[in-house]
Amino acid sequence: MSKNRLEIYQNGRQQRNKIRVPLRQKWTARGYQRLSPLFFRMRPITLCICSVLLISLMAILYLSQLGQAVTTNQQIQALRNQEAALQRQNSDLINTIAQEQSPAYIAAHARKLGLAPANPQNVQVVLIPHLQSVQHQP
Amino acid sequence: MNPALRRARNRQMVIFLLACSGMLVLLGRLYYWQILEAHSGYNLAQLANEEHTQVFTLDAPRGIIYDSQGRILATNVVRDDVYIEPHQFSIDHPLDAQSARNSLIATLHRVLPQVSVASLQADFNTDMGAIRIAVKIDPAQSQALQNLRLPDVFLAPRTWRVYPGGTLAAQILGYVEQSDQSSTGVYGIEGQYNQLLSGTPGSWTVETDLQGNPLTVGINNQQVPVDGASITLTIDSNVEYMVETDLAKAVQENEAQSGTVVVLNAKTGAVVAMAGYPTFDPNNYGQYYNQMGCLHTEQVYFNPALYCAYEPGSTMKAVTMAAALDQGLITPDTTLQDNGCITYSDAPEVCNWEDLAYGKETMTQVLIHSANVGASYVAHNILGVDRYYPYLERFGFGQPTGIDGPEQAGSYRQPCGHGWSPCSSDWTMSDLTRQAFGQSIEATPIQVAQLYETIANGGVMMQPYLVASINNNGHITTTRPTVKRRVISQRAAQLLTGMLVQSAVQGFAQLAQVPGYSVAAKTGTATTQGISADQTEASVAGFLPASNPQFVILVKMDRPQKNIYGSTAAAPLWGQIAQQLVWDYGVPPDLKQ
Repeated sequence: MSKNRLEIYQNGRQQRNKIRVPLRQKWTARGYQRLSPLFFRMRPITLCICSVLLISLMAILYLSQLGQAVTTNQQIQALRNQEAALQRQNSDLINTIAQEQSPAYIAAHARKLGLAPANPQNVQVVLIPHLQSVQHQP
Repeated sequence: MNPALRRARNRQMVIFLLACSGMLVLLGRLYYWQILEAHSGYNLAQLANEEHTQVFTLDAPRGIIYDSQGRILATNVVRDDVYIEPHQFSIDHPLDAQSARNSLIATLHRVLPQVSVASLQADFNTDMGAIRIAVKIDPAQSQALQNLRLPDVFLAPRTWRVYPGGTLAAQILGYVEQSDQSSTGVYGIEGQYNQLLSGTPGSWTVETDLQGNPLTVGINNQQVPVDGASITLTIDSNVEYMVETDLAKAVQENEAQSGTVVVLNAKTGAVVAMAGYPTFDPNNYGQYYNQMGCLHTEQVYFNPALYCAYEPGSTMKAVTMAAALDQGLITPDTTLQDNGCITYSDAPEVCNWEDLAYGKETMTQVLIHSANVGASYVAHNILGVDRYYPYLERFGFGQPTGIDGPEQAGSYRQPCGHGWSPCSSDWTMSDLTRQAFGQSIEATPIQVAQLYETIANGGVMMQPYLVASINNNGHITTTRPTVKRRVISQRAAQLLTGMLVQSAVQGFAQLAQVPGYSVAAKTGTATTQGISADQTEASVAGFLPASNPQFVILVKMDRPQKNIYGSTAAAPLWGQIAQQLVWDYGVPPDLKQ
């Protein structure tokens, strides 16, 4: 610190010590102190460090939340894609089953296996008296 | 104040003022863009929203169509369309555009051989934002393209309607016309129930990232799609396939122009099978646009059973007999003198086929011989105008049956002055004498089948129907068999059934016989005025077993060249179908062998 500045500083302190602080101002200062959230005095540097730490903590918390949101979003997107793929697979399977259940497909495969439609001339109808037909189950 | 301190204060003030002016400039610009220009001509707010908000359309799956046994007749599959981005590609490859393009084209052509190199080169030269190069590619091709991860190539999934049975029941089902924006059912059930089957598409408004992926945060409005209703038909796929296969074979063997078969449940009016030939494949409907059915009068997409009106010929003699029996004017044993031709003072002469004379014959024999003289005698001399035409109306001729699907009403001429509507001022008695044996009247196959269903059901006409139930997202509507009206008395129906059985046994429908079963059937061979007499409409209509009717069958051949009569062109197919039906449904025989 330069000599001039040191003098100014010391003079200021001496003058301040000599000043008599009014009672009302004292009470107001005490009131502010009571209202202050901290119960201890902080020097500016400490306050700055604390503020930086607090902001850093909040930033870390925010970023971690954001990271989780992004991850969840990716998971949801992946699940949506999976759902679409499964739906597509399901509709393909339904179509395949329907194709293989169609009479034309069955007839073609039956022919491949050497089966042939029954000749009405070779069919004998046997009539059984009092035979009750079995009802279809609903 | 110390001069050094003052200088320091001044410097601080200058910096403060500079910062303030900078802030003011920024605030001014902010006000300009955010307030003044936000909703002006640029509509920046909307542009900004569009940049990061997307509206996805959520397709409502089209309803599935089932047959009566729960087999799927129409369903949906998802297939990809392939797009390229020529403009983006040229930006991404500023230096080696040509070589990179050739390499990409070669890869695309290898995976999609159906897309030619020339067309791909032409597409890349357009410099458009996105252009579609292939539609509805195979799943294997989709997989191959996904694995390759080609730059500036993307796949867009699209839902397609498919018919797993191919041509099976095509004219009943119709098809779905698909465009980029919409899909619309046309013809058949797809057309008739298009709104129900389509459902309601939903939408999803959501904020997206740069890649267009939806974000979990921000705007997220979803309107859920309502799936299309599923429809279950009364058709039995097995019977339908058998009928279609046999019909196609019979049409080809008889060298006919076309053919139609209708099979109804005799008790309920439900359609068991309904086939036309030629037909089409709804999976590739575009290929059939120039093919005609129904005597070359309608496109092949129309269902001929509902849409192809024809002169039914002698199968209509059943109506004449039914009217007279119901009014107690004749019995099966009532006789008349048949000299081969009959002359009237108020109408032209009517003759039998080849002017054959049968002498004294009973009404049953009129059906056995299929005598035009007998039928016109009953209509003209016994019934008359006032007692004949009300029966045509009650049997449903000249009016739509009300079945599910577009249909023709058919037509016939009836005299004015009797309070009937519509009436023809140019009607003559010749119309009556010819309508008695199925000429001068046009009816659709379903109307003729409905006539025989009424006789089979003891004189009670049932509403024919194709749709058994509709499942609209859990709300199920089931069609109950509905009585339309009583047309003739039960006694008259029984007597007529007996006459038809005799007609089938001794008459022209002998080839329609099924061993072990009593068959009530009548053949018809109709000619059309103005064309050669050998260009006929050959048909057989009837039901079995006559003692407890289960199925009504109508077979019609249009202009058969090899066998021109109903007895030879249509009756064998009738018998074949009837035989298969009784086997498939386990109908017990009613005759001792």
